[in-house]
Amino acid sequence: MNSPAQAVCRTRLPDGTLLTVTASRRERAGRADVKCTVPGDAQLAERLQQVVRLARHTEAKIDSRDQVVLSVDRTPAGRDCELAFVLADRLVRGVWHGRGDIVANGWSDAWQLGRVDGHDVADASPDTLLGGPDGLAHLGQLDGHPDPSARVSSARAWFPLHSGGDGDGLGWVEVSVHPLEGERLDEEQTIAVPGTDAARQLAVRQALAGARHFDGRGLGRWRTTVRFGDAAFAGRSYELALVLADRIARGREFIPRARLLATGCSDAWHAGRVDGVDGLAPKCALLLREAGPGDRIVLPHAWRDALPAGFADEVRARGASVACVERIGII
Amino acid sequence: MIPFFKRAAPVHDACTLGRTAVALPLSPGCGAPPGCPVVIVDADGRPRRATTPAGKKVELRPGELAWAFHPGPYTIAMVPYAQAPEIGLRTTFAIDPQDPAAAGKRFDLYLAAEADGRVDLAMLGVKVESAVRSALEQGALDLPPCADIDEWNAFRQGLNRLLYLRFGLTVDDCVPVELDGIDYAGQLAARAVPVASAPVPDKVVPDLADAKALRRLFLELPCLMCGLRFGALPNGQDQFRQQQALLQRLDRLSVEITSMPALVLAAPGQPLALDEQLRRMRHSRRATVALDEAWALLARLEGAQGERLAALYDEAERIVANLEADCAGRRAAKHVAEAA
Repeated sequence: MNSPAQAVCRTRLPDGTLLTVTASRRERAGRADVKCTVPGDAQLAERLQQVVRLARHTEAKIDSRDQVVLSVDRTPAGRDCELAFVLADRLVRGVWHGRGDIVANGWSDAWQLGRVDGHDVADASPDTLLGGPDGLAHLGQLDGHPDPSARVSSARAWFPLHSGGDGDGLGWVEVSVHPLEGERLDEEQTIAVPGTDAARQLAVRQALAGARHFDGRGLGRWRTTVRFGDAAFAGRSYELALVLADRIARGREFIPRARLLATGCSDAWHAGRVDGVDGLAPKCALLLREAGPGDRIVLPHAWRDALPAGFADEVRARGASVACVERIGII
Repeated sequence: MIPFFKRAAPVHDACTLGRTAVALPLSPGCGAPPGCPVVIVDADGRPRRATTPAGKKVELRPGELAWAFHPGPYTIAMVPYAQAPEIGLRTTFAIDPQDPAAAGKRFDLYLAAEADGRVDLAMLGVKVESAVRSALEQGALDLPPCADIDEWNAFRQGLNRLLYLRFGLTVDDCVPVELDGIDYAGQLAARAVPVASAPVPDKVVPDLADAKALRRLFLELPCLMCGLRFGALPNGQDQFRQQQALLQRLDRLSVEITSMPALVLAAPGQPLALDEQLRRMRHSRRATVALDEAWALLARLEGAQGERLAALYDEAERIVANLEADCAGRRAAKHVAEAA
């Protein structure tokens, strides 16, 4: 894996300024696996080293060849910088591929389970990663995976937003399912989409209810909450991402190693069919730009023959994979 | 009565063989059940096949252990992703009684290195499942959502090789299935209820766990080296040197394993504190994790070329480095604070 030699993650201090955590990787040469330095506070440095080591327990691969050195440019306040240390450690080893300038605040009492319990900062900017139940509750959530120990199963999938302007990027949809208690309701009544207009709520409900009908065992078992990212969008191409996130959350779909990126819609979710959507060329370019190692791209089958030349190879060269599907479901 | 004319005693629980048990230990004087090959493991841990015909007593020298195994086929349902419990893989596998591999019969090595008495199908199934799960997590196998037929075939090939090289099992058939017996909603609801008596995790006896781990390292490292020598045919001079260096390091590791200090002694005649014993045990168990990864790596080596081969060599370096780190940890009498 070609991971960077140095990575940076920022965290917000109570006074509103940003603190920079710099992680660099070098030959182990008989030294400790993690080294933390905090100017003028050796005790805090030792505790942060412990935090980083605990968080590594949730990773699949151990590599004892490298040492990661984590340093800060000022003295952090309290425990709120723990998440930034953990993320910087993951970025520099290529375990997680964050994009852009990452600002993260959060702390946890159970890093060895990958749980993030909360955050202290009050006035964070909206694109800050905040630990806790209302933000990032679990490290696996960075890639949209469900928490294997939580009572609620939630999965996230990403879809390309294309307008031809600066706003192009990936939007996300998150589906959280709880076991349904009490009497059996109409499936559409159990699906809530807070914070959206009635039209979108209806579309989401119909798509999910249809796809669950196709699933056979999906109906009448779950209470569902669907959330969307902040970016505004129009159109129906988010539906495939929504349906796949729902299947992953309900434990009925294989799980990608990193994120799931999908675009597609359908007029017949009850038959599991996936129909094509517009914007093939710009969306493919966008997906290619955004895809990272381990990501899974799912496109409608109608796009299969029209994909840009070499698209699949370029995706594979980035460590991701792509599939054009005719219908949802396994194989 | 002269014992020479005694009939061979039947194996205890022989009727479970081929159904819930894959292999059963034979006590001295037992006869081999018909149709079940007998593996004899000598005092050094080297396995060989018994040539006794079925029904006759299997002769064992002192210190030897014997197992009779049923070649199968067996069917298990494994769950490849812990977070997706309703999707399983129904896998049918068998054990080739005439395994012609040059490096020795892999299942016999599995019995010699890992079997501790009876080998249950359920227990083997759990081990197979965890091997597949960690291969998927590490990217050694790929089974992404909406897998198409090519990806599925690639997964099947990888699975065949993984299960053969890790356990000596031959996969006959593997199909994705929806596990109707599993209710994920029920499982989630159960997590919400605070459990009165938290499930006690399997109790680990330090000295037993350590001895088992070291036995695995002792018996499997030479076979791994053999696999690496034949499987990872180097491409060019630099890779040849890399392979030689890896083999040398593995050689040194197997010497280190044979001269590993006893778990309970800090120095001859000096007992070791219990905490340090536990630390040593954790190191030897982590070394077996690296060993599992090494088998998974051998499974991927076949037919690898160019960039892929280079990546696999890098992976081999990582695994050997982990093995070395854990063996050094197992050897150390007390935890040394590493230099920063």
